[in-house]
Amino acid sequence: MKAKNIVQIIIAAVCTLAFSCKKSFLDLSPISNANANNFYKTKADFENAIHAAYATLYVIYDPEEAVSYGEIRSDNATLYAVAGTQADKWAIRDHTETPSNTMVYQYWRDYYKALFNINNVLEKIDVAGLDEAYTNSVKAEMLFLRGLYYYNMVQLWGEVPIVTKVVSAEESYKILRSPVADVYAQIVSDLKFAVDHLPQADAVPAPGRASKGAAETVLGKVYLSMGDKTNAAAVLMDVYNSQQYELLPDYSSLWGPTVKNTKESIFEIQFIGGSASTPYSPYWTAFAPVTNGVITAYGGGINQVTDDLYNEYETGDPRRDASIDTGYTNASGDFVAIKFPKKWEDRGAPTSGTQELSRNNFMVLRYADVLLLLTEATGDPQYMNQVRARAGLALYGTAGYPSATYPTLDAALEHERRVELALEFHRYFDLMRTGRAVAVLTAKGKLVTQDRLLFPIPQYVITQNPAITQNEGY
Amino acid sequence: MCKKRLLQNILLISMLITFLQLHAQTQVISGKVLDDSTHQPLPGVTIKVENEQSSTATNEQGKFTIAVPSDGATLQYSSVGYASGEINATTNSPVIIYMKRTTAKLEDVVVVGYGTQNRRAVTGSIATVKYDDFKDRTNSNITQSLAGQLPGVSITQAQGAPGSSPIIKIRGTSSITAGTNPLYVVDGVPLENFNLNYINPQDIASVDILKDASSAAIYGSRGANGVVIVTTKLGKSGQSVVGATIEYGTQEVAQRVNMMDAQQFIHYYVDAHNNAWVALDPTTHSVADPNDVRTSAYKIPEDFINNPQQFGKGTNWQDVMFRTAPLKNAMVSVSGGSEKTQFLVSAGYLDQDAVLDANYYKRLTVRTNLRHKISDHFTAGTNLSLSGIFDRTNGTAGKSDVVSLGLQSDPVFPVYTETGSLGFRDPTSTWYRFIPYSDLIEWHPYSLTREIAQKNKSFNTLATGYLEYNIVNGLKFKTSISANLNNSKYDSYANAGLGYGYSSVPPAQGVTITNYSLNWLSENLLTYDKKFDLHTFNVLLGYTAQHERTEYSSLTSNNFPNDLVPTLNAGTVSSGTSTASEWALLSYLARINYNYANKYFLSAAIRRDGSSRFGLNHQFGYFPSASAGWLVSSEKFMDDVHFISNLKLRASYGVAGNNQIPNYGPISLLTASNYVSGSNLSSGLTVANISNPDLRWEKTNQFDVGVEMGLFKNRIYVTADYYNSITNNLLLNVPVPDITGFSTQLTNIGRVRNRGFEFSFTSKNLVNKFEWTTDFNLSLNRNKVLQLGPGNAPLLFTDYVVQVKTEVGQPVSNFYGYIFDGVYKNQAQIDASPHVEGTTPGEPVVRDVNHDKVIDANDQTTLGNAQANFNAGIVNTFNYKGCEFSFMFQGSFGGEITNQLTRYLGIWNGGRNAYAGVANYWRSESDPGDGIHFKPSINPTAMEQGFSSYWVEDATWVRLKNIRLSYALPQQWLNKLPVKGIRVYVNAENVYLWSKYTNYDPENTTYPATVPSSTSTNALPTGAFYGVDYGSYPVPRVVTFGAKLNF
Repeated sequence: MKAKNIVQIIIAAVCTLAFSCKKSFLDLSPISNANANNFYKTKADFENAIHAAYATLYVIYDPEEAVSYGEIRSDNATLYAVAGTQADKWAIRDHTETPSNTMVYQYWRDYYKALFNINNVLEKIDVAGLDEAYTNSVKAEMLFLRGLYYYNMVQLWGEVPIVTKVVSAEESYKILRSPVADVYAQIVSDLKFAVDHLPQADAVPAPGRASKGAAETVLGKVYLSMGDKTNAAAVLMDVYNSQQYELLPDYSSLWGPTVKNTKESIFEIQFIGGSASTPYSPYWTAFAPVTNGVITAYGGGINQVTDDLYNEYETGDPRRDASIDTGYTNASGDFVAIKFPKKWEDRGAPTSGTQELSRNNFMVLRYADVLLLLTEATGDPQYMNQVRARAGLALYGTAGYPSATYPTLDAALEHERRVELALEFHRYFDLMRTGRAVAVLTAKGKLVTQDRLLFPIPQYVITQNPAITQNEGY
Repeated sequence: MCKKRLLQNILLISMLITFLQLHAQTQVISGKVLDDSTHQPLPGVTIKVENEQSSTATNEQGKFTIAVPSDGATLQYSSVGYASGEINATTNSPVIIYMKRTTAKLEDVVVVGYGTQNRRAVTGSIATVKYDDFKDRTNSNITQSLAGQLPGVSITQAQGAPGSSPIIKIRGTSSITAGTNPLYVVDGVPLENFNLNYINPQDIASVDILKDASSAAIYGSRGANGVVIVTTKLGKSGQSVVGATIEYGTQEVAQRVNMMDAQQFIHYYVDAHNNAWVALDPTTHSVADPNDVRTSAYKIPEDFINNPQQFGKGTNWQDVMFRTAPLKNAMVSVSGGSEKTQFLVSAGYLDQDAVLDANYYKRLTVRTNLRHKISDHFTAGTNLSLSGIFDRTNGTAGKSDVVSLGLQSDPVFPVYTETGSLGFRDPTSTWYRFIPYSDLIEWHPYSLTREIAQKNKSFNTLATGYLEYNIVNGLKFKTSISANLNNSKYDSYANAGLGYGYSSVPPAQGVTITNYSLNWLSENLLTYDKKFDLHTFNVLLGYTAQHERTEYSSLTSNNFPNDLVPTLNAGTVSSGTSTASEWALLSYLARINYNYANKYFLSAAIRRDGSSRFGLNHQFGYFPSASAGWLVSSEKFMDDVHFISNLKLRASYGVAGNNQIPNYGPISLLTASNYVSGSNLSSGLTVANISNPDLRWEKTNQFDVGVEMGLFKNRIYVTADYYNSITNNLLLNVPVPDITGFSTQLTNIGRVRNRGFEFSFTSKNLVNKFEWTTDFNLSLNRNKVLQLGPGNAPLLFTDYVVQVKTEVGQPVSNFYGYIFDGVYKNQAQIDASPHVEGTTPGEPVVRDVNHDKVIDANDQTTLGNAQANFNAGIVNTFNYKGCEFSFMFQGSFGGEITNQLTRYLGIWNGGRNAYAGVANYWRSESDPGDGIHFKPSINPTAMEQGFSSYWVEDATWVRLKNIRLSYALPQQWLNKLPVKGIRVYVNAENVYLWSKYTNYDPENTTYPATVPSSTSTNALPTGAFYGVDYGSYPVPRVVTFGAKLNF
């Protein structure tokens, strides 16, 4: 064969090879991750997206998150030496946090990450062309979560940027902090849509999904925070009259690794536990005393209970021992006295490393909360007295009630909410709502002023966008 | 012998006859090649007829015969170590060629991308190291042997564990968040992030490092970080060589970290508790308060108060974890060949115990390189390398890995308790009395090295097969298929309870991880060499396609009934996963080299790369380059300038790219985020990152000028280079406001400049019987960020307190925090200066950097940078009668290092042990200590815990890197032995270090160079933390005795 011919053949072969397979050769799709470009089309896609939006509850209600740390910011709990960068955690406890506090920045990111998840579903469902009933139910669930999160955020930071859609980096620079009233207006609007379109608790698609009652409960609390007792009373009465909820006869039966979605539960975060590959409850590990090595493999030492909370209980109140553990026996048989939360205890849970794979669910909202809010909204102690009756204690207004200690209905409510809902992440927001935070906390020896009740806006947020303002006091 | 030669000649002649039949108009000429100075015959010299395909090699008598056209021809001759040349052969009389030994390296062969060049013709900046320069060094990774010798190539032994690859940076840091590792090209196969430990250094003929962008641009989108070309050996025709190497060595940790002993620790512990207890309520609390009035965190073990002497000096945990470890290395190779076939077969075995307890590294390498000339037109060959590594390596992860944990462990605890267990958590031991004190720390090294069984097994096959086709005179086509197959498996089993030597008593756990990757490459190259008159052309056209798939899987088992069976079947599998990812690269390349009269050199190249990693809008990119050289010393007018024996000027400009981003960077990916419905798992999917279809190449434009000069018959040889390199379109994970739901987005934005100067100097001080040569090199690089993301917002990365900040106008990754100006002696001093509210005497003085009388976040400032001002190395080599002695110093000047272990060992942290220096802390106004170390407290202030100058140290160091002594036994001793040559040697690595650094080694970096993960785009770019030491593995001193034998 002539050399020239061979050259021609080779060049031809190379060129064919080069140009024929070019497109498909370089066009590689991810193998181990789905591609977002062809998602958000079917109802099945949206079920996946909704589940992911609910999964943000795991972050927002994590024991190391802002609402949980409300317990150490209040007088319910404290923080001894724990793992990690402790100074930032202690600063939150002592209300001395600075704008560069890494925990506060983490909280900020976690909330907006969660809001992205929610807004993304809201944006995609509007253009997916699915039927209206389904579209509205999806939106209602998302708006419930968004309302709940913005309510937390306005408690934590006051004025915050309101993001209600998926925004690009460029757009985000134009979104500044909105006045508190605007944030509340957004929350009310979101929750009203949720109230109008969510089913009652007995008709939700799966346990743990948002219901009308859940949306009304949050809305009631929001109205109270806004000082609107009339509207609060109306929505809360709607929950009261819905026949969906009741108090369990025994306070202690509310708690335990297998107690899930009871009649008293209004909105509850769902866990399976037992395996590292399914969502497990982080509370028991986090709340157990640090390095105990006996009741848990290691222990997180978060929200260790103060004597002040322990002593708040009236004599004979069964809720104290159902809520607070007073210590544990170490491996050599000695008792170590330390008070820590008991409600999410799961002794004997399987472990992965130093993490217990606990099973306990976490109730964000429960009926006792509604009853106490109703008394707050209406001034009628009968609802609060249902809670006291369950605890087997003398009713407010009757002879046995310790009216010397709690002379007014406000004082009685403050006390009752504290002990009934102890360590369930309510105390700090309660004190903020009633305007009692500074008075109560300074009386307990905490050096806190009005403008130190809110978190600072993280320094990094302001560095990135200098148009974002800082809270008073930082 | 004679018969054999006859046979050879017959073969040759018969071939020639065949040839003659093809080309009737030819004649055969014969000749001989001799060494110019010794007049000894030279075997293996390549003889080539100019502009023809025929070539041959000289035999052991230095003789050759070759067919040439009847009208005469020019013969080109070349041999490694000798100056190539040409001679006219027009007559039938035998040709005698005298070859000169090269001294100027001018005639050395340099491996460039997709080809080779004479050093003379090289117009870029390429550093070349030959086998002889590293043959006696005992490093498992060839690049370790190059550290300190190549200007502009920073080779940092960041971790001392056997098999730990150094971090290589060529001409500074050109990327902030994309990868910074150079491209490795092994026998022509470009491999990203390749582990060079798979290649036995004894198999390597040369390493060529393409430093400037014009040289690297032929590797296109992967050349921006420089290219390391490794070429393995091939036998020479005419000689069969059987070689054997045997080495035995010992390794030890020469310098230790100075930690507190038990007595110092007890004082520290007691003071930290008392200080904190009193600070809690200074009016009612006192140092004398007994335990029963204190809350639990403030209690002090009675043993510490009543009888601290019982602990003596306590345990030095470094003595427990480190040991003197042996190293054995053996290697056999056979190489040789005929004119048609050359081969090399070798096998090597390295068996190395690590200085860290229970750790080891074993490597078996087998190589076959083969090249066979099928006919005048066709040549085929293969390179096949098989490597297996069996190792156990702990201690390199810093923070919570053995080396770091050993330092943190309190010295009060014994190596073994009286029950034989490892730690005080043993409930049957009397040491269990310390359990109530949650701030006593023990991480017994053995709890990790002996209570956890671990094994890594890695197997790598790198295979290339090629076919060359000489189409017509000068026109050659080469096609090759290569594959790199890597499999590794990791198994570990942790005994239940870890012998009570760990901070917790965890249940047993078994883990298995497997990795697989297959990389294949198809390469098709067409080259054309043409010479007419004084013009020489060399043209290259190429097309390549490369694809890689990686797979990962892991399984974890728990709930083992006992420790009898360590495989996962004995427990229940608690979690498992597997992932896979792919990339593909398609490239077209072209290059032309031209020279006129071997004086003027021009080169231009372009490559077009298409990558699956990039956005659809920018999948292809072009990478052009051009360079020129002028050999001034060959000019007529230089003939009279006798002291200049060689002078070359060169300049180059090129564009190279960086593609080291995650495989699916531009695509918005979904990631699992599951929820629970009742008792069922509800699978959820959420968006993991923002899509960016515009994602494109990071491009480095580099300009380089260089001069090479030989003086006084090349007794002195100087090379100097200046470069200016600007990287555009940085692949940056740009911070975006968090209210978008994301913290970063992978974007092309930003520019970084690297400017530098490189200088090397070789002087043959003495050239008589006693030879003395000095090699010196110096390099400096100035790195500056020119532009960043929107609004030039600085990039701030934080990992475990340490902050690094990248901002415009500054070098990449400045350490960023507060400045401590000592310790407040008393209240008056506090009152007189700006201070954090609540500061008490004994706490650090924080500098008011911005002079606003307030100490706040705005007082954070630059604390230093890991990049050195300049690096230098000097090697002195002495030769006398077969005896060679050499020593090398290496130094780095003007950089800083962040000692991240300060977090644990410099500040009270949950009861961990501390540096001995910390014992000089402030005790009272009258006993203020050394003025550096603040008073200990179990509740350190936020400022004390934060990142500050207290963590940053001077990283200037000088190291006696290497000493070698070798002796070639005289021939007359060997006459009776079946050996041709024996050389014995002693080699010592990392002999001594001069440094002020607190931890082991200022070269230690715990954070590896950024290697983009296969898919995630939001991971912390570890490379940004270069120069941060979080308890790295010390680099041991290694002394090796070896012998090399030739048969």
